[in-house]
Amino acid sequence: MNTTKSVSKRYVFLAAILIVLAGGLVLLPKYQKHEGIEPEELLSKAISPERYISTDILADKLVNQDPSFILIDVREESEYTKYSLPNAINIPLKKLLDEESIPYLNQAQYNVILFSNDNFYADQAWVLCNRLGYKNLKVLKGGINNWYKTIINPPVPTEDMTSLDYELYNTRKAASMFFGVAYPEQFKVDKPIEVKKVAPKKVITVQKKKKKPAEGGC
Amino acid sequence: MKELEKTKRISIAAVITILVVLIAVLSYKKPKHLYANNTKSTLETITNSNFFATLEDLKGENLALIDVRNQFEFEKGHLENAINIYTPEILNDENSKILNNLKATNQTIVLYGSNTNDVTVPFLLLNQLGYSNVKMATIKNSYYQNQLITINDTIEKSIADIKEFIDESIKKASVESKPIPVKVVTPKKVITVQKKKKKPAEGGC
Repeated sequence: MNTTKSVSKRYVFLAAILIVLAGGLVLLPKYQKHEGIEPEELLSKAISPERYISTDILADKLVNQDPSFILIDVREESEYTKYSLPNAINIPLKKLLDEESIPYLNQAQYNVILFSNDNFYADQAWVLCNRLGYKNLKVLKGGINNWYKTIINPPVPTEDMTSLDYELYNTRKAASMFFGVAYPEQFKVDKPIEVKKVAPKKVITVQKKKKKPAEGGC
Repeated sequence: MKELEKTKRISIAAVITILVVLIAVLSYKKPKHLYANNTKSTLETITNSNFFATLEDLKGENLALIDVRNQFEFEKGHLENAINIYTPEILNDENSKILNNLKATNQTIVLYGSNTNDVTVPFLLLNQLGYSNVKMATIKNSYYQNQLITINDTIEKSIADIKEFIDESIKKASVESKPIPVKVVTPKKVITVQKKKKKPAEGGC
């Protein structure tokens, strides 16, 4: 009888401990809001300039029809319908975390390039998506405004600039033509430069006549 | 006897369980920074509420200005009464203390950088960490003759209608490209032909 009493006491003790531990679980939900990656990690990713892509690189990708990325316009729909980059998908910032938008943002197949007029909204979208751990996100540096300034309407280099600037201007100009801008000189039909066909020189191997041994002689 | 063995086993198991729990509790490090808002609610705040402060708002009382540029830029020139907290260091212990102090004393924290885009990252981070008293200054800082010039900044303003620009360029190009018959007007050389005066017939029959 004595033993059973002490045993039951122990059971009570054990049960009490378990109840206390279970009570600890109540405190846990406090951390549930801690969704996504750590703030420190988010910060270190956000301050890296790696997350930006320049307009020149983007133009090059578009011209070469690089299939590895998708463009996402985070501006309002009205602005999107007015003008957007070729083949861009419109996800207004407000709808960024909607269920329909997630398949575009959270995938490993494509690189995602976010853009807006400047990079203000695109940056906000980037921070939120990155906290959720979405990979392969980039922001177009300077957004559409910079796109206009550099690609659509590139500044004409002045004479005191280096040949590199001229080269850059020419590439940008060519790119802008690709995106629909027309230049007056484009229409002046240049006479097709006649390419002189260089006929391959026929190599005639002259067979050297073997000197015949002098026939006869004195 | 059987009962006794059973209790022995139970107590051993209990001791082990408690040990495991203790180890788990001790090894659990409380993260320094915890998000107070999830992404959805943050998105709602940034799309719905006004968290901008213009140049005029900066003169208001009970606000703490924080310069998020680096120390070099800060020392070159900064707004009056501003504290320097460079963005990459915003989660340091020291800076957290400062921010918590400001939060405790109910001051509005206004972040500014060289332009509004500079402040996006620190603002969003602080907002998600639960600093609801943070605003971002929509100002632009630049230097003119080593003097800090601060002006209001506009965000996300479209600078040009690209579609119109393209259409315009096509129109312009097609107008100019119409084969305008370029008349090369060469000044007609006026050659005055001296009329030979008919000589009076010399002699005759």
